[in-house]
Amino acid sequence: MKKKGNTFLMLLVLMVFCTVIGSASASAVELEVVWMGWPRDRVITLIEQFETENPDIKVDIQLIPFSQLFSTLEVRLPTGTTPDVYIVDGPVTASYAARGYLLPLDEFYSDQELAEWFPSSIESGSYDGKLYSIPYATSSAALYYNKELFDKVGYPLPPSDPDERWTWEDVATAAVEIQKALHDMGDTDVWGLLIEQIDRPYQLLPLAQSLGAEVIGSNGLEVDGCINSPTFVEAATFYWRLFNELKVSPQGVDDSAVAREYFGTGKAAMMLGAEWNLVRLSKSFPELQFGVSPHPYFENGVPVTPTGSWHVGVNSRTEHTEAAVRFVKYMTGFDASLLWHQLHGHSPARMDVYKALPEVFDTDEWGVFLYEMEHTAKTRPATPGYLEYELILRETFNEIHYGADPQEALNNAVRRIQREFRKYR
Amino acid sequence: MLYRRIAECVLVFILCIIALVYLVPFLWTAASALRPAGPMYSYANPLTLETFIPKNPTLQNFFHIFTKQRFGRAMFNSLFVGTSVVALGLLVNSMAGFAFAKFDFPLKNLFFALVLLTFMVPFESIVIPLYVVVQRMGISNTYSALILPAIANGMAIFLFRQFFADIPTELLEAARVDGASWARVFFQFLLPLSKPALVSVMIMLFLFNWNALFWPLVAVHSSDLEVVQVAVTTHVAQEETHWANLFSSAFAASLPPMLLFLFLQRYFVRGISGTGLK
Amino acid sequence: MFKEKSTPLLFLAPAIVLLVIFKLFPIGVALWESFRFTPISQESIFVGLENYEFLFRDDPVFWNSLLVTLKYNLIINPLNVVVALALALLLNRSRPYVPFFRSLYFLPSAISYTVVAVVWGVMLDPYYGLVNSLLAKLGFSAQPFFSSPSQSLGSLVFVGLWRSVGYWMMFYLAGLQNIPKTVYEAADIDGASKWQQIWKITLPLLSRTTAFVLVSSISFNFLTFAPVFILTKGGPRGATNVLMYESYKSAFVNIDMGRATAISSILLVIIIAISFISLRLNKAEYEY
Repeated sequence: MKKKGNTFLMLLVLMVFCTVIGSASASAVELEVVWMGWPRDRVITLIEQFETENPDIKVDIQLIPFSQLFSTLEVRLPTGTTPDVYIVDGPVTASYAARGYLLPLDEFYSDQELAEWFPSSIESGSYDGKLYSIPYATSSAALYYNKELFDKVGYPLPPSDPDERWTWEDVATAAVEIQKALHDMGDTDVWGLLIEQIDRPYQLLPLAQSLGAEVIGSNGLEVDGCINSPTFVEAATFYWRLFNELKVSPQGVDDSAVAREYFGTGKAAMMLGAEWNLVRLSKSFPELQFGVSPHPYFENGVPVTPTGSWHVGVNSRTEHTEAAVRFVKYMTGFDASLLWHQLHGHSPARMDVYKALPEVFDTDEWGVFLYEMEHTAKTRPATPGYLEYELILRETFNEIHYGADPQEALNNAVRRIQREFRKYR
Repeated sequence: MLYRRIAECVLVFILCIIALVYLVPFLWTAASALRPAGPMYSYANPLTLETFIPKNPTLQNFFHIFTKQRFGRAMFNSLFVGTSVVALGLLVNSMAGFAFAKFDFPLKNLFFALVLLTFMVPFESIVIPLYVVVQRMGISNTYSALILPAIANGMAIFLFRQFFADIPTELLEAARVDGASWARVFFQFLLPLSKPALVSVMIMLFLFNWNALFWPLVAVHSSDLEVVQVAVTTHVAQEETHWANLFSSAFAASLPPMLLFLFLQRYFVRGISGTGLK
Repeated sequence: MFKEKSTPLLFLAPAIVLLVIFKLFPIGVALWESFRFTPISQESIFVGLENYEFLFRDDPVFWNSLLVTLKYNLIINPLNVVVALALALLLNRSRPYVPFFRSLYFLPSAISYTVVAVVWGVMLDPYYGLVNSLLAKLGFSAQPFFSSPSQSLGSLVFVGLWRSVGYWMMFYLAGLQNIPKTVYEAADIDGASKWQQIWKITLPLLSRTTAFVLVSSISFNFLTFAPVFILTKGGPRGATNVLMYESYKSAFVNIDMGRATAISSILLVIIIAISFISLRLNKAEYEY
């Protein structure tokens, strides 16, 4: 009995002790930062460098797994003064800004400083004429193809010249023919075309935009007549055909890592995927012979590509504005962007980083992505209701790829989105 | 006798068949944790010996998560929170279970209904007000934020009540007649008879906390307070899933609850914990 | 039963205080929220039953979700109880091999549902998963599992059972310890067969444990979220879109607390109703 009592007492003491340690802090300003759950060792490299350069600031960074990031922020942002700085998904900037969770940052940046970033990235960090989040990285997408599989069936490789890019009709034909030829040769488990993010508006809005469809009304709060317009439905129907009629794309592969592994191990002739696959494919699948062709478009339309990625924002309630801004400036600055690219392979949102690393970016593959970023990239719609818009559209694309009637599914989506948007009106 | 032998063989055979369904994912997870970082499906399809036995087994994944990603710290935090919750939770919940099982008092049914209610509401619907409570109390970002809300547990109270109800009241009455205080009746007569219940609640509370993911993310932000499930889940990111780290950390993370169960399961064997009282 | 005034309240006090602060108060707030509508950046307004009315009148997604939730629970809860009890009965003996099987069956409960879901997601991959390569070796054709509207709910039930049956088994093992040995000895003398003993003695004497396992398993499974969130995102085509997932999306993505809490309140009512029925059916008819 006595022994048990001691253990309990020790536990209590330990508890109090740890609590004290947890809350003790030196005289330096302590910044509380919420970050994406990227590998700790990589993130910490940046943080340590910042702390060395700014000895008066201590950074307490919380890494949140991707699946939990948005919900955790939804709980924490409405109350209290922290986190001081947090990572913001580019298109969600408007949502946080409209609810007063972000500090406008215009006064801390000169036009000259802002000119370093891609204009589309700055656009995606702005809402209602003010700048709320600074670009941390950006992204693009293109058509990856497996050279070996193309050569095996003797099909001409997709072009790397943007002016000769394939149309979606070309891609569909190639997918059908290559898949059939491979099946005849006995490779029965190879797909014609993989879609990396099978239901994300990020990946799929450009299809509709290529046909000229508007994806949201000009006030950012109207979707009727946009996502159920004839051109949008036409693009969605093409998407439906890939999975349900031509059967060149596998249903239910909705994870980047899985899609990349399918492609990397020769289970697919082509993959519509983001630029982050470049580094990862060459690292994880050294034997894979692949190439990159510009993003396809519809024959009677124009090329449109997705873009945008993570941004960094300052909490409007922070008590350490000066330190927070300094941290944001560091993380989105030239040195950190370059280092982060080397550590994690994200494509920088700053143009000066591309110029500084010609040995990395002066390749055919990167050339394709850089061309798209500069010429065909379109940011996702700016609406305070982006979270709702994305979720509902995502479920809709998912249903369509599983065989739901595109027109009907998109009409349902309009109804659901309109109901969610009523809180902004 | 022969009939019994055959019956036992059949039984063991059935147990082995079920065991396969359990073993295959584990063997495969273990193999993946011991493989150098790389692809995943290539080993699952087609099926070969290498699916389950890595060609070049390595401990480098474990080494990596413990040295580079502070997995040890996360393990310590979760262990600390888990043991605190178990220690306090056993006491608080068994006392409440005792009150419900052996006493009649006004509004008892209402109280009991409220206790049951507490585990019928999804955590996700109460997390926002709960976060406000914890902040007002000034304990956010401390161990207390993880421990205090987890101590009283409706399911544990319910289990104690059910279990205590099955223990003969006369035994306790006899002790009372002998002049024992209620505290003594509870600690010296009732609890020693309830080892199986104590053990299962212990495991229940420990697992509840060990497997918590959302609340720790919300309630504490300091990286010194990161818990084990957060450290595991971080390996599933949007642009890449780090299979080797994921599986090695999941593997390491399932060891403590597993050892706990192994250690405590002797209390589930009839006869050994026999009290001789029945 | 003891009849005392202050003693039970003293024993109850710590638990009740903690439950009120950390559970009942937040639950009250959530219920309150279900009668309100919150426009962005403005005070929320009382709208009465509007959130509920909308769900039942104009929300086909909700109706589908309700059906899926009921279907899932109608399958998984009885299975849970039956399999857990069977395993406990098989493993409630002292044989050298018993601890191994008990630990093995319990092991999945030690792993977080998130990891379990990720592992089974890879195992049950429709094209190149381990299970499909196993099926191929055995001469069966590949199955779509989570990527087919007809198989995904069943696959979810399987993963749920795999993960939790050992956990419920543990409570049955504990319950079995409470049955006096003398009861069986008496039955042996009367010449009752083992089957008769299980039906006539063990099951009735375990009714309190069964009540606990049933109610807990019902609450647990009606609130199932993690595997849906990770494995199916409610799909394909809504086949696994359980209410809890629908409520989560409303709360944390659609920023629509009114709908989210209305759904969880409806869930609560369903759980209470079903728990009440199962408690009634399992009412212990004995008293020591």
